[in-house]
Amino acid sequence: MKYAKTLIVSSISALAVGATAHLQADDTLRIGVIGPTTGVFSFFGEQQRMGVELAMEELAEQLEALNIEVEFYDSQGDAETTVDRLRAMESRDDVDLVVGPVLGGTGLAGLEWAKSSGMPTVISYSAPEDITMRDRAENVVRAGWTGAQPMFAFGEYVAEELGHQRIVMVGQDYSFPYNQLGGFLKGFCAAGGESVERIWHPTGTSDYSSILATLPDGDALLYNGAGSDGLAFFQQYYDFGIDAQMPLLGGSNFFAVGDLPEMGEQAIGGLSALQYAEGLETDNFQAFRDAFWAMHGDEVMPLAPAEHGYVAFMMAVNAFESANGGDRDALIAALRETEMPDAPRGPFHLDEYGNPVQNIYINEVQEVDGRLVNVPIKTYENVSQFGPFDAEEYLAGEPDSRDFPPGNCSDPYYD
Amino acid sequence: MKREYLIIVMILVALLAWPLVMGNYAVSQANRAMIYALAALSFSLLAGRLGWFSLCQTTFAGISGYTIAILGVRFGLPFPLVVTLALLLTTLSAVIFGLLTVRSRKVSFLMLTLALGQMVWALSFQWVDVTGGYNGIAGVRMPVYGDLNLNDTRVFYALVATVTVAIYLAVWRVYRSPFGLLLLGIQENEQRMRALGHPVALARFTAFVLAGAIAGVAGVFLVYDMGIMSPSPLGLGHAVWVLTAAVLGGYRSLLGPAIGVAVLIALETLVSQYTDRHMMVIGVVLLLSILLMPRGLAEMFEQHFKRKSKPQASVTTTTRGEEP
Repeated sequence: MKYAKTLIVSSISALAVGATAHLQADDTLRIGVIGPTTGVFSFFGEQQRMGVELAMEELAEQLEALNIEVEFYDSQGDAETTVDRLRAMESRDDVDLVVGPVLGGTGLAGLEWAKSSGMPTVISYSAPEDITMRDRAENVVRAGWTGAQPMFAFGEYVAEELGHQRIVMVGQDYSFPYNQLGGFLKGFCAAGGESVERIWHPTGTSDYSSILATLPDGDALLYNGAGSDGLAFFQQYYDFGIDAQMPLLGGSNFFAVGDLPEMGEQAIGGLSALQYAEGLETDNFQAFRDAFWAMHGDEVMPLAPAEHGYVAFMMAVNAFESANGGDRDALIAALRETEMPDAPRGPFHLDEYGNPVQNIYINEVQEVDGRLVNVPIKTYENVSQFGPFDAEEYLAGEPDSRDFPPGNCSDPYYD
Repeated sequence: MKREYLIIVMILVALLAWPLVMGNYAVSQANRAMIYALAALSFSLLAGRLGWFSLCQTTFAGISGYTIAILGVRFGLPFPLVVTLALLLTTLSAVIFGLLTVRSRKVSFLMLTLALGQMVWALSFQWVDVTGGYNGIAGVRMPVYGDLNLNDTRVFYALVATVTVAIYLAVWRVYRSPFGLLLLGIQENEQRMRALGHPVALARFTAFVLAGAIAGVAGVFLVYDMGIMSPSPLGLGHAVWVLTAAVLGGYRSLLGPAIGVAVLIALETLVSQYTDRHMMVIGVVLLLSILLMPRGLAEMFEQHFKRKSKPQASVTTTTRGEEP
């Protein structure tokens, strides 16, 4: 019985302490920023964090005037952890607005949670199109992109400007590349392309000899993937000498700046498309980049996740400003009205579904001041997440998948 | 006897008091803890009774979760039917896995469950038409019956707590039943059990299926708790997490897995508030506790109790606490 008493007494006191520890009642507004700052994808989360920190510095006066506090959370790149951290934000830490998540799967998990909680949310880099399409929610907007968005323009560019008719695509076998290829195919076929042959490989493949030895014929090869898989593919593509037969095109993340030094000079001339380019020469971009370098050191190039975090945070603060406080409905209304004429990546506004309508850059890898960077060589302005297509029609169609849309442009689907 | 009932009453009181005293976040953390306590129990049932270390118990939870997500969201079947089918399908896959693994020994069992778990994980990742691939399936919700919204954190808590307690009590009975003793006997000396005429393979197989079904229940709650089913709970990381929790708490005892999960979740929640490097802190805590308490937290408590009561012969270990 003695033990029972001590146990009961101690557990009740522990409960009481726990219950009071996080009761916060004040007029502070709180922004919770979530991204993967540990784990395999920590690069993206760190970029977002650095972007947000820069925005915090630049907006210090507004933050003080509005009494806004910022808290960073680690999603570990895991859907379950993301939901857990989001719950902590709402019910433990009294957060008023969420910026993030960053990765595809965590973005969808965050969306699912946001739907049930009603939390005003600015998704930053996470790109699954259904976040702002088929599964969209009133309280969730996006500062970044959808996987297909830059690829409509790229498909068009490859067919029209480069004149390639038949493309061989090798890609990582999961949703994001499906969506990238979907956008590419829709743009490519509409601009007079002929066909795209798909070859999917599991993520984490390091040996491509069997794929490279049996490649079908084509005018160009599109590698639809990124990261260490992309690097390995790039090396082996050149080792096999296939670059002499077919030029290599990249998915949006293929010629990522982090990988360019390892790719080396062979990467020069590599083409890809994104709503961002670290070789942009606009004043807005260069001011952003220089401020970023001044804060974080110039060995770190600000990439799209950093800019998207920076912009998402600005959208959040602007919303607090025009809502004049933390009222949810007013915040959400303000977020949906977002216009960012001075964003580093170029001007954008949100469409009625909550996704940016923005510039898409066709980027070429060039050497600038001793660094390999993506320099825009052509700009498609005001591209929405539906590309050149009608929103209602697009939404009525099937979502992109492993085998959809069809790879042959003469398919009745494209009529 | 008396002491055991006292412990049960104390646990029940604590479980009842928790949602009344604590805030929403703490209640949702308790939900997670109970879900993983079920998964860890499923692991410990095999590890503690048979010496079988399984890396596919979270896979069963995942199979159950995917069944619910697919049938519930894609086909819109009613909630009771979806849950029944999910548990049936999980049990069925446990039967299949069980037939494949029943003859294996320690390391080969570990490797087989690893392979099976990874196969299902890869399937969930790549069979996009059915599972939604990396994006998963969103919108998995509990039904609302009139005023009773099962998705509400506290209502959900009541549900999870009831089921978890019921399962723990049932497993407690199993551990003390002739069947439970037979499992211990098999772990200790399989030849002798066989010579005594016990159906060794059948007992193992039954334990495996039982453990799979418990993991299936965990999966049901897991998917409704998250609202989305994605491949991440099927990954190796989650399997290892469950193993860690069970070892930390003490997989040989009944309450060990629950204690391990509770401690690990509490650590993660508290430490991650202060530093991004929380995994390192937790790693150090794990290292120390496994070095200092190789048989887990639960048995440290038990020894504390037992010192005052009459000594009880250990069934599975030698006097020095080593595995036979």
